[in-house]
Amino acid sequence: MLDVVFSGLVLSSVYGLVAIGISLTWASIGMLNLAQGFIFTAGGYSAYLFSQVAADRGVSGPALSIGTVVAGMLGAAVFGLAVGGLAFLPLQDRDNFRTRSLIATLAISLIGTQVWLIIFGPQSKPLPQIFGDGVVQVGDASVTYGQLGGIVVAALTLAAVIMWMRSSRSGLQMRAMMMNPLGAAVVGVSVRTTGMRVLAISGALTGLSAVLLGQVFFVSPTSGVTPLTVGLIISLAGGLGSIPGTVVAAGLMGFAEAITARYLEQSYVPFVLFGLVVLILVFRPRGLGGLLEDVRE
Amino acid sequence: MSSEKRLVGRRLLRPAWPVRPERTFRRWRYPFTKRPVLNLTGKFNPITLKREMVLTDKKPMFWLVGLSALLLLPVASGTERVLTLFGIACIYAAINVMWTLIIGTAGLQSFATLATVGVGSYGAGYLSVTYGIAWPLMLIVGLLLGALMGFVISLPARRLDGLYYALLTLGLSEFMRNFVTQSDALGGKFNGALFGVAKIVPTLGTPRLTQTVVFITTFVLLLLALAVFRAVNGGRIGLMLKTAATSKEDESFASAIGIDFQRARLWVFMIASGALGFIGAFYSATVGGTSLQIFSLDLLLLMLAMIVIGGLGRAEGAVIGTVIVVFITQWFVDWGPWRIVVVGVLALLSVLYTRNGLFGLKAQLREIRTRRQTLHRAATTGRYAEFLPQEAPEIGDKSVIAKRVFERDLRGRLRSWISPDLIAEHERKPLGQHSDHLERMLNYFRKAPIPDKYAVYCEEPFARYRVVALSGLPGVPPRVVDDKVYDSLDAAYHAVFLRRVNDLRAS
Repeated sequence: MLDVVFSGLVLSSVYGLVAIGISLTWASIGMLNLAQGFIFTAGGYSAYLFSQVAADRGVSGPALSIGTVVAGMLGAAVFGLAVGGLAFLPLQDRDNFRTRSLIATLAISLIGTQVWLIIFGPQSKPLPQIFGDGVVQVGDASVTYGQLGGIVVAALTLAAVIMWMRSSRSGLQMRAMMMNPLGAAVVGVSVRTTGMRVLAISGALTGLSAVLLGQVFFVSPTSGVTPLTVGLIISLAGGLGSIPGTVVAAGLMGFAEAITARYLEQSYVPFVLFGLVVLILVFRPRGLGGLLEDVRE
Repeated sequence: MSSEKRLVGRRLLRPAWPVRPERTFRRWRYPFTKRPVLNLTGKFNPITLKREMVLTDKKPMFWLVGLSALLLLPVASGTERVLTLFGIACIYAAINVMWTLIIGTAGLQSFATLATVGVGSYGAGYLSVTYGIAWPLMLIVGLLLGALMGFVISLPARRLDGLYYALLTLGLSEFMRNFVTQSDALGGKFNGALFGVAKIVPTLGTPRLTQTVVFITTFVLLLLALAVFRAVNGGRIGLMLKTAATSKEDESFASAIGIDFQRARLWVFMIASGALGFIGAFYSATVGGTSLQIFSLDLLLLMLAMIVIGGLGRAEGAVIGTVIVVFITQWFVDWGPWRIVVVGVLALLSVLYTRNGLFGLKAQLREIRTRRQTLHRAATTGRYAEFLPQEAPEIGDKSVIAKRVFERDLRGRLRSWISPDLIAEHERKPLGQHSDHLERMLNYFRKAPIPDKYAVYCEEPFARYRVVALSGLPGVPPRVVDDKVYDSLDAAYHAVFLRRVNDLRAS
């Protein structure tokens, strides 16, 4: 039973990071960043490149691990900014921004997959095991270091992001934009600067999830598709823009996936997830975040 | 078409035919509808002084020419490669036309298109492989499966708006792919591919002949899809949805006048989904199998690029965009992944720089030109000073502009003649022969329009006269402009003159 809990936690923490990135971007600048899958692979590949270079120079141990994570996050953040420069800045003040930026990000991800294919070829690339090899016995379940480290790092990062949003000035600006973009602009919050900052941060979150998932699955040009789709589903179920809702939804989806895979069959996982989201949305069109807000009130 | 040269300046070129009164002019209708085939209006040609029939909507002609070219070019070229390319283009175009129906007409931003196609394709293919059903039955099965799928995925559409629904459906293809990969019945054998499905076109004498017939069947499929689009989009249900098309206010308005637009949307979605399932089954039965590629996100994005390049929400955009993209991806096969990059860049450019793809370009360019002209007019203000520069392009009749310019110049000239001498001359002798300048000025005053024209009102003959302004409206009396009373007619005439001169000065 406990191993189901752990595999559920791993999946939910990894996908939850992607979902929070999507959710924040949508809530603050009104753009659905569907190039998140492309950014995911960008993070994976930059971590891969770093690990290759570092391994050539003989770096190993904690330096390699930390460097890989940082490289993945940085690379993904840079690509997040690039996506912003292509799809957010030029379109931001034009009419029909939402649909057009959606299409633009889709076009970027179409291009991106092929660019990875040209540069890295179709073979999957492995990432170094940043948490080392090893197994911990928790109750009757055996948990690998990778799983445990993934959960811990994801939780820490999430806490850092929440802290940033709560207590820093730029976080305050972002929250202002989430509440009322026009009002925020009127009181002097730069929509463009804040938007690019949000894109960089959600890119970094996605890059982190790429490194974490890279422990289990290898990086390939199309490896961003599943995180993107699951991330979308989670952010929808959580109610776009609500971090607590997204966290709860990520937990729910991760466990649903793990339980279905364990007790039913792997091929039912998509339907269970999809059915769950449809169920949530039919009863709560604003997702779980809306539900949480109602409860608080 | 008439033989005279038409097209003057910015005017639209409209093909015109002479009307022959001896022959009764019959309007053709589309079968079972009251809609005329060609949108013709009668017009009088001021140059030839003859009656003409003018084609106001040229689209049917372009459709005819375009579709004939699409049919005849590949058949005439006759190479198998070209035939295959255009066959694929026709199938994709049919899918995109149905997608346009969902996005454009129903206004539902659904990405479940290829998932629906795949369901039809795999369902019908599986039944054909396992139970050996014939292709007509496969098509029916595909239709039913597509409609069923459409019904299921339209359930959340009622509650979710716009982009939320797009997000939900974007993942569907990926989920279907996972399901097929992991299910034993479908995916276990050949990595998700199905083989040995019953074919519509049997193998004929030569490969070229077979390919030609296959291409023609796909073309017929495209025609069917366009017919469905036309019937739904141009029909009653399309009209109902157009009322609720663009904004929340429109939706409220539509429900206020009794249009159940939600239901209409779901109907369109179901019809389009059924058609998509049909296309899926058709695909299986044409290729003789199907593969997991149909569920890949990249193919979905490629199809989106086709629609975006052509122009979102228009059938012609879907078809042209598809032909362009399929040509790039199938003709330049040796470019490898670069050709997809080219398509992606095209799609990105059309999102960034055009308002609605290739077919929105015309309106966009026209608007740019109008803006340029306006700016130009504002800069070279001389001729057009009689109105705001921005209203200049809206005045269709250029003689109005000329008249205003003439009157402005005339007023300027008359104003320069106003002098104490002139006024004294009029005071001396309001009636009778005057100097040239005064005579011209009085002529100008006489020409003024009746509303607010000054006149003399006799309260008491030879004793009390007043200046009034005419209302210009029958039954509405003139208004008295001031309380001055003049004791002679000549003094009153001069008072009117002074007022008019004042107005001329102020203009």
